[in-house]
Amino acid sequence: MVSLRWLLLISVLYLALTADFSVGNLLVGVLLSFGLAWLVHPSKERVSWQSFPRRAWYFARYILLLVSDIILSGVGVARVVLTPSLPINPGIIAIPTHCKSDFAQALSAHALTVTPGEMVVAIGEDGTMYTHCLDATHGQEVILEAQRLRRELLEKIVE
Amino acid sequence: MEQMIDLVTQIIALAAVIIGTLFAIVGVLGYFRLPDVYTRLHATGKVGVFGVVLLLLAAVDLSLLGFGKGLVLIVLLMIFGPVASHAISAAAYRIGIPMKSAIRDDLAQASDR
Repeated sequence: MVSLRWLLLISVLYLALTADFSVGNLLVGVLLSFGLAWLVHPSKERVSWQSFPRRAWYFARYILLLVSDIILSGVGVARVVLTPSLPINPGIIAIPTHCKSDFAQALSAHALTVTPGEMVVAIGEDGTMYTHCLDATHGQEVILEAQRLRRELLEKIVE
Repeated sequence: MEQMIDLVTQIIALAAVIIGTLFAIVGVLGYFRLPDVYTRLHATGKVGVFGVVLLLLAAVDLSLLGFGKGLVLIVLLMIFGPVASHAISAAAYRIGIPMKSAIRDDLAQASDR
């Protein structure tokens, strides 16, 4: 059977891409996403609809955090590049994580890659994220502290 | 009134074009100035994505690009830009490209064990 979540997601994406909100286009979009959702065979996990508004709230906060991170990292790296003496001390720092699921781990690594001056190079078997930093003089405590807020938000979204 | 709003959005779009182009230039400049593949990915991946997002925002207002399409493109860039730089850096580390002037490497110690 077709999962409702995928159906909704693909329909909204189709409407956004075509930017045509007539009934005919809506019908085509729903039919297309029905076929696509049937093709991808999503997993059988159950998600309660009661928790949806709370999750959406945390998700919106997380998106805002992500946007500000992207702006800050763009400005931060640009400042490093434009400084004549090129003040970098690159290095790879191991950062432990405590995420339960693979999905949360992937999102956490994504958040860490977005933050200024950091980029996840590899993830170890035990979930340690090996992060390349433009400035590796400060230890892993500083990065962990910055990562804590994102991880808390992510855990509330994914659970 | 309507002309006012048009003027304001156009000024914002022009500012986005100028700032986005500047960031794109800084991304390329970083590609030339930084020493190795890992540090270069910081410049092209982050500064580049930020510049392109600003240019897309301007394109929504100034060109025929629809709002929904622009939004989808920006979200995709925000999700997959970091994924791409992670994939390239992981591949580079796996085939053994060394880091220049690195002050610490926890991953090398981990893979020695």
